[in-house]
Amino acid sequence: MIAPVGYALVAFVVAAAVATALLRDVLAAIILFAAYSLGMALLYTLLLAPDVGLTEAVVGAGVTTVLLLLTIAETVRPTDGGALERPDPRAAVACGALAVVFGLTLPDLPAVGDPDSPVIAYERVTGYYLSQSYAETGVENTVTAVLAAYRGFDTFGEATVVFAAGVAAMVVLRREVLT
Amino acid sequence: MSDAERSTYTESEVIMSTVRVVTPFVLTFGLFVTFHGADSPGGGFQGGALVGTVALMLAFAFGIDATRRWLGRRAVTAAASLGVIAFAAVGLGGVALGSSFLDYTAYKALPLKKPVKLGIEAVEIGGIGLIVGGVIAGLFFLTAAGPDADADADAGTVPGDGADTGGGPGGDAE
Repeated sequence: MIAPVGYALVAFVVAAAVATALLRDVLAAIILFAAYSLGMALLYTLLLAPDVGLTEAVVGAGVTTVLLLLTIAETVRPTDGGALERPDPRAAVACGALAVVFGLTLPDLPAVGDPDSPVIAYERVTGYYLSQSYAETGVENTVTAVLAAYRGFDTFGEATVVFAAGVAAMVVLRREVLT
Repeated sequence: MSDAERSTYTESEVIMSTVRVVTPFVLTFGLFVTFHGADSPGGGFQGGALVGTVALMLAFAFGIDATRRWLGRRAVTAAASLGVIAFAAVGLGGVALGSSFLDYTAYKALPLKKPVKLGIEAVEIGGIGLIVGGVIAGLFFLTAAGPDADADADAGTVPGDGADTGGGPGGDAE
């Protein structure tokens, strides 16, 4: 039941990614990139990772699209040439090779829900979280328990990085106008 | 360039009406995802981003400058800073109670019903949510209004005015 939907989504995501890379019109590319993010969000949700899906939908399809749209207000539309970018052959070969290399690793990955996959087979970590997190933290969402409690220090670092990056961008952009 | 900057806002009755209807739901959903993140998918990051998106939607409908003035640029930065402080405070509270940094079990010493869960929620809502929401809204306003968005003389200067070197790569659109 899930498989056909999943394959359709994968095809959609790949097509959107390729089209994003090839289209010359930046506005169309951004819209397709948003569609790509939305496809990824659905795919994550389908693979039972709703937390990641929510993040991808909000940040990937929403915020990133808006920020990109704002930046292209300052650019010009290409008037010459066709609708498609003519990619540099060397770049195309490099991208293609990378895709092939990643693709070759796919058969070695465990199937979704495979009981022999390392995450489940070595359950000293995963199993501990799944069986103990509610008793220890009183939090029903194990993802939240892991992120905020068991890996709280990492999350603190990540939150600080987000803050620092935002502040750095603000400082740099504010300085641009002074020089 | 300043013309191109201005033209990003067009007063549209359709967009304004849509945003008026949709915004309360987005805000409620964002707050739900933030505050209910401990027991359902979501959490401070996703919810904070959703709440930050509300500022983006309002800005698209009612004008970026107007929304920035209404919200106040200091509020956005203050929210993000407050998030870091809250996160660190919850962590240091554990140290103060004689345990490790970010060890919520230390709060069991206090007369709280679910001390560990409260600690997690404090970090998710007061920490991560505020940081992410503030940074997203701040970055948006900064990108939108050009490099001198944060200049104190808000109303007087035209954003991007004479600052083509700092702007986008394309130059003048019109």
